[in-house]
Amino acid sequence: MRFIIEHLSKHFEKKKVLCDIDFTFESGKIYGLLGRNGAGKTTLFNCLNRDMKADGGEFCLEMDGQRRSVAAEDIGYVLSTPTVPEFLTGREFLKFFIDIHEDKIQDIQGLDTYFDYIGISREDRDKLLKDYSHGMKNKMQMLVNIIARPNVLLLDEPLTSLDVVVAEEMKQLLRGLKEGRIIIFSTHIMDLALDLCDEIVLLNHGVLERVDKSNLNSQEFKEKILSALA
Amino acid sequence: MNKTFKIAFSLKNTYRVNTILYSLKQIPLIKRILPQELYCDPDLKIFANILSGIWEFIKAFLGKFLYFLLMITLEVSLYRTEAQSAVFLHIFVLLTLIGAWLNTYIFNPTKDKYYGLILLGMDAKEYALTTYAYEMLKILAGYLIFGLLFGRMHGLAVWQCLMLPFAAAGVKMTVVAYSLWDYERTKVAVNENEVGVIGWILIALALAAAYGLPVTGWEIPERASVCVLACWILLGALSVRKIWRFQEYREVYRQILTRHMVQMDEARQSVKRQSEKVIQIDGEVGSSRKGFEYLNEIFIRRHQKILWKSSKRIAGICLGIVCIVVMGIHFLPEWKEIVNHFVLRNLPYFVFIMYFVNRGTGFTNVLFMNCDHSLLTYSFYKRPECILRLFKIRLREIMKVNLLPAAVIGAGLALLLYLSGGTKEPLDYVVLVISILCISMFFSVHYLTIYYLLQPYNAGTEIKSGTYRVVVTGTYFVCYGVMRMDVPTLVFGMGTVVFCVAYCMIACVLVYKLAPKTFRLRA
Repeated sequence: MRFIIEHLSKHFEKKKVLCDIDFTFESGKIYGLLGRNGAGKTTLFNCLNRDMKADGGEFCLEMDGQRRSVAAEDIGYVLSTPTVPEFLTGREFLKFFIDIHEDKIQDIQGLDTYFDYIGISREDRDKLLKDYSHGMKNKMQMLVNIIARPNVLLLDEPLTSLDVVVAEEMKQLLRGLKEGRIIIFSTHIMDLALDLCDEIVLLNHGVLERVDKSNLNSQEFKEKILSALA
Repeated sequence: MNKTFKIAFSLKNTYRVNTILYSLKQIPLIKRILPQELYCDPDLKIFANILSGIWEFIKAFLGKFLYFLLMITLEVSLYRTEAQSAVFLHIFVLLTLIGAWLNTYIFNPTKDKYYGLILLGMDAKEYALTTYAYEMLKILAGYLIFGLLFGRMHGLAVWQCLMLPFAAAGVKMTVVAYSLWDYERTKVAVNENEVGVIGWILIALALAAAYGLPVTGWEIPERASVCVLACWILLGALSVRKIWRFQEYREVYRQILTRHMVQMDEARQSVKRQSEKVIQIDGEVGSSRKGFEYLNEIFIRRHQKILWKSSKRIAGICLGIVCIVVMGIHFLPEWKEIVNHFVLRNLPYFVFIMYFVNRGTGFTNVLFMNCDHSLLTYSFYKRPECILRLFKIRLREIMKVNLLPAAVIGAGLALLLYLSGGTKEPLDYVVLVISILCISMFFSVHYLTIYYLLQPYNAGTEIKSGTYRVVVTGTYFVCYGVMRMDVPTLVFGMGTVVFCVAYCMIACVLVYKLAPKTFRLRA
């Protein structure tokens, strides 16, 4: 499977944020999206998630050589600040989510199995989500995105504000998830991107550019990224 | 000092000019014709500067004119007394005293002061003295012109009129000097907006004395008022020294400005806390429903208090009013005709009443804050079929919430019509009940529709749509306008039913066609 972006552009008034982007992402890989502050990473994600209308261009999925347009359920989007419906308990949110997706999810399992998988303890499962910690909300958001099995998973700085233990758990989770799907992971932290991601993509001056790592040690690779972003 | 004043003035002006430009950008249609580089467009800047200048002029002169006209002259003219000059001075003295405490200028934490003193680190003493001197000059000029104009109208001598501006400035400076002295003693700077309970009681007493005493035929004797004015001028002159010599303006400003900014931050946080607070933890667990019906059932259950409690309370109040009128009709037969005429001629009033009774904005607000705000970030939630499914469920719920008070009002009106002598046209009863129910249905559909079509909030739960604001304000004015119509109940009721049914049909079609595109978080 490939996720193909063609001629994607977006501007705010006279400022061009995305300039005729052409890029192809391939399944089975975690892509680290690096860019300076204000480079347009969140704008790119918002356009791909159709929260924001792009000015032009398109994106599609190519499966077995056949292209098709991207449906809402193809995209999972995890925001840096987790947003979960605060009036529901963790269990209720999960039940609601599975109800909505029951025709699409294969081999639905018991709710507790999912909680065990993501590491949310038994006593927290029936608490209102408003009383969850930041890390737990983040796990819930990640969990529903995992259950829906989207073909493309967009992660907007999801590990930035997590404690080291939860961040490590999430990294393991993402590594286990990449098979058969495309994960695009935006971050400011270069070491995190180098540690977790299979490919590094820069969003610079409105275009996406893959950074080739071949024959470079990690220090040289870092310097190459920095000089490209400068 | 001259430089400090220039910077302070230009900072305040820039802040005001940018606020004007930002406000222009929020107006639907106008925002489209505005150039993209709004804040550096020279023509627009000139325009906004002119508006800002006009605003400064209005504050200095029109404000004082209205103050003298509405707060003093009008009241003096109401008291049919020979001693108009004494009443004029009586009200002036008491109001000026309140103003001196409530409006010190120096102790008012404004944004431009925060930018100038905290962010830009300007010299606090120079800033305070120059800007305060400018404010005092504005007061002197405004009070001089309008003090003379209105004072002479009420028989004050010219020399008395000339005392007014200096006395007003004098008492203000006295209060400031006292506050500075108090700061030196306690090291606590008091924000002028934090009046406190005792302060408000004193203000209420002073207001009551200003406007109430002349009704009883008593006012401060003219000579006493003139003496007070003279004292204020003297005290003001003495206070200049304190204000001039005070050295701790930086500490005073730091205290009141940082405290104010913390309070503003807390206010923003508390919006989120408030919306979380309305979530009720219930004893019930689980539900037999599935999917969106399941989500809705839990949402309604956990928001019982905010949705149903106020609806029940309003219905109860309406029922109480109906009972009182029924008893009135029973014991005071002369009420019959009045009530009968009111019910048969004043149905338009009920559009306005239903506007206030309606829980539509409260419902959409809590929907966004506690539900859609988070779920709209999930792609499944934005699928057209999901949006429309949930719209239908929510429309049903909000109609139910609004229907309870509407049913009480409708049935109550029909009952009152019957008990007050009835009508020759039996259709009146039916139209009365159905039109009230239709108005209720209209408001339910209206608020939910504009919420779905204009979804005004961004991820930070701020309202970002100027159009939404215009529509909500427009709704108020239309309802107010309708209230003033003088149409028989039968005609108005039938018109209302036709309009409401047509509006609801059109609105639902629009939601079905457009909501999948419009129901998104605003960027």
